[in-house]
Amino acid sequence: MRDKSYLRKRHQLIKKIRNFFDLQGLLEVQTATLLDTPTTDVYIDSVSSIINNDINSTVVRYLHTSPELEMKKLLSNGSGDIYQICQVFRDNEYGDNNFNEFTMLEYYRIGYDIHALMDDIINLLSAIGIDPKVTKISYAEAFSNYGNIDILSIDFGDLKDIALGLGLSTDFLWIEDLQMLLFAHLIEPKLKNLPVCFIYDYPESQSALARVDGPVALRFEMYLGGIEIANGYDELQDADIYYERFLRENNKRVELGKKAHTLDNTFLTQMQKTIPQCSGVAIGIDRLLQHIS
Amino acid sequence: MANYSTSQFKNGLKLILDGNPCSIVNNEIVKPGKGQAFNRVKFKDLITGKTLEKTFKSGESLEAADVMELDMQYLYSDGEAWHFMDPDSFEQYSLDSEAMSDSINYLVEQDSCVVTLWNDNPISVTPPNHVILEVTDTDPGLKGDTAGTGGKPATLNTGVVVQVPLFVSIGEKVRVDTRTNEYAGRA
Repeated sequence: MRDKSYLRKRHQLIKKIRNFFDLQGLLEVQTATLLDTPTTDVYIDSVSSIINNDINSTVVRYLHTSPELEMKKLLSNGSGDIYQICQVFRDNEYGDNNFNEFTMLEYYRIGYDIHALMDDIINLLSAIGIDPKVTKISYAEAFSNYGNIDILSIDFGDLKDIALGLGLSTDFLWIEDLQMLLFAHLIEPKLKNLPVCFIYDYPESQSALARVDGPVALRFEMYLGGIEIANGYDELQDADIYYERFLRENNKRVELGKKAHTLDNTFLTQMQKTIPQCSGVAIGIDRLLQHIS
Repeated sequence: MANYSTSQFKNGLKLILDGNPCSIVNNEIVKPGKGQAFNRVKFKDLITGKTLEKTFKSGESLEAADVMELDMQYLYSDGEAWHFMDPDSFEQYSLDSEAMSDSINYLVEQDSCVVTLWNDNPISVTPPNHVILEVTDTDPGLKGDTAGTGGKPATLNTGVVVQVPLFVSIGEKVRVDTRTNEYAGRA
């Protein structure tokens, strides 16, 4: 049970976050948490339940794993810049830093590219009392500096050889999984001494729902003391590409022996009304709180 | 021996890594936001004493190492081998200087030490946390010498050198913390 000083610290953090956004004119929103479709993320599972069983309904609803899709629906309807602080839910999470339920801050800035958004996040950190030296490196630079690997050009076979040489598993179907293993093994431990570090321009294979520019996805993550705190993109706008990405993720789930999920057709239809160019980010509040003294 | 999978990893678990028995010192579960879970593990190689790090895919498994830690009595050394006896079985085990490593500095005959066995072979020795050794050589601490708080070096009967307070003289018995090689009072 959390003590009063923790509750007070948390309250202050949320208040400062709200103040930061209110001063900039963002709208706070609450989007639906109980959704019709689960996330199609390969490695994230939605918590689900049959609802209205009393009246013999067999409808299944899913708790959101992030408010992303619902917030994008708002953006496509002309909401303008929006933010949300909400609980998110994920099945099959364990370890000291991963929970089935946690608090997420997610926000979107129209007209911002990922660099402008990273600068905005630095301002947000300052507003909540985190003011140290900031490091910004590209994914490629991180791998060449800390791992001596040309991560954007190296192919899957050669990357497996490197993993073998390090005594690591090569039992992966796709290059992005091996990239993530090597990042966790070689790069993350080196980030422990950096109070704030942004990694940007992820490989295209790890684009998630970010726009792609040649070999890189316009995606970034923020690490505080070596712990992953935030994930952001220059958001995909093209409805057809959203469809492709969802299919790709779903196919991977099937290949891994997981259940294929129905796609969120409401979302895909809504995306026909193109969202404005914007960048958005999701920030883990509980982990952020741990970094505030 | 049995295998352990990543979901069973915990501190102190002894596993075979690259042919050597290793003990888990830290087991961190890392799950990237868009990726699968990994176990980032720090091991201590029980033969070399070195620390190693390895990151495992969730579900990987390693062979368990048949490692036992037994209390044994230090008997004697002939300079090439150091001999210990299990007081329950009266079985004797011996180790060479490489396996003995730094513990040679803290051996007192009849003292009880922890001997680590791998597949019934002794691979290392851990002396008690504190041992009592005799000062065999040290400078006389000059009265009134108040320069600094470093003390002075003293050689003890096992050959190890420890920093001691200026008032300690040759022939005196001192208590030494074997984990830090520090003077821990007079005996």
